[in-house]
Amino acid sequence: MKYVDEFRDPELGRVLATEILAAVEPGRHYKFMEVCGGHTHSIYKYGVDDLLPANVELVHGPGCPVCVIPMGRVDDGIAVAREPGVIFTCFGDMMRVPGSDGSLLDAKAEGADIRMVYSPLDALRIAKQNPDREVVFFAIGFETTAPSTALTLMRAKAEGVKNFSCICSHVTIVPPLRALLDSPDLRLDGFVGPGHVSTVVGVRPFEFIPAEYGKPIVVAGFEPLDVLQAIRMILVQLAEGRCAVENQYARVVPYEGNQRALEVMAEVFELRPHFEWRGLGFISQSGLKLSDAYAELDAELRFSVPGMRVADPKACQCGEVLKGVIKPWECKVFGTACTPERPIGTCMVSSEGACAAYYNYGRFAREREVV
Amino acid sequence: MNDCGDHCITCSDEGIPMQVERIDEARRLALCTAEDGSKSTVEIALVEPVVPGDRLLVHAGVALVGLES
Repeated sequence: MKYVDEFRDPELGRVLATEILAAVEPGRHYKFMEVCGGHTHSIYKYGVDDLLPANVELVHGPGCPVCVIPMGRVDDGIAVAREPGVIFTCFGDMMRVPGSDGSLLDAKAEGADIRMVYSPLDALRIAKQNPDREVVFFAIGFETTAPSTALTLMRAKAEGVKNFSCICSHVTIVPPLRALLDSPDLRLDGFVGPGHVSTVVGVRPFEFIPAEYGKPIVVAGFEPLDVLQAIRMILVQLAEGRCAVENQYARVVPYEGNQRALEVMAEVFELRPHFEWRGLGFISQSGLKLSDAYAELDAELRFSVPGMRVADPKACQCGEVLKGVIKPWECKVFGTACTPERPIGTCMVSSEGACAAYYNYGRFAREREVV
Repeated sequence: MNDCGDHCITCSDEGIPMQVERIDEARRLALCTAEDGSKSTVEIALVEPVVPGDRLLVHAGVALVGLES
């Protein structure tokens, strides 16, 4: 398969691992964050970390949209889903995220009409097929998913679909990165940048990382050799005493992103003053809401939502995992009370959550051996 | 997990390469086929113009970027 097989080539992987070993400075500890959950998943699926020297540590970032949804937003969704006559639609993993009193899946079991969709367009189709019902789409995701929601809302408005609305929980990638860089908990040496978010926003928005914080960032693809090459590119920058934004994923990511996608987002959404992120707290201008022009499609205005802030369960350490302060297996409930089948925390829900990646690929309780 | 393969469809950084089979110009939608043979209706407003045979990176039902054939 083009662009897949050549990026999984074991021999090339060994060559890259050798080059990485040659690029590290003995005695120095490197801490790199892979921002995106897709990278986390690839790293553990393909054992990328086993090819790295022991002094190269990967920290898993907040780039899984399911993982960063706070419990209060789940409660908001469940409250709307329980309204009489509502068909509530959402992506599959969102159904298993625990709220303060169960998940959307639990609410479905109790009789709410909650349906999994693969795209917002599917939700709009359900609305057209059920004109006597209110159909609500629970929109989550970063800038990769937001254009999909925006185009669907534009289509709903243009076609005059009155029984469709959206709870907008879209978030943006740059503010949490800035928050992490400002956090005293975490000292990072560089970033593996998100690949598909960058197809929309481009590479330019990450220029502040080297410019203001003096750290390298390399936007990377999702095959194992993509990740290895990105790590090598970061190490080379550090060895040469420079920091810059580089694009390892140029076969897919244009430097300027997709202008049309940015335009439709600008038309349909506006920034919220604050948005709560699980584990990271409130971050300014990091969430999107519907613009005034699309207010008639805003489910938060159409229905009564609790809008309450709900603290995470005490046993759950998703916050520390999302900030990279602890490894998933260091959480007290990892793999025991909290499993993919019965998640307590969001990081165990999505296959791209750091805890689920560790659990599914057998990283239960060990440090890597020192090479 | 889901039936789209290794990745969770709710991840913002997940995309599926698909090939354009047929285009509905009026509705700005295309019937596309993934490498596993599954077919989907895809919004093409962000990557127009496209022609049958083009490869697209699709996320949550929307083509985000054209890929080299």
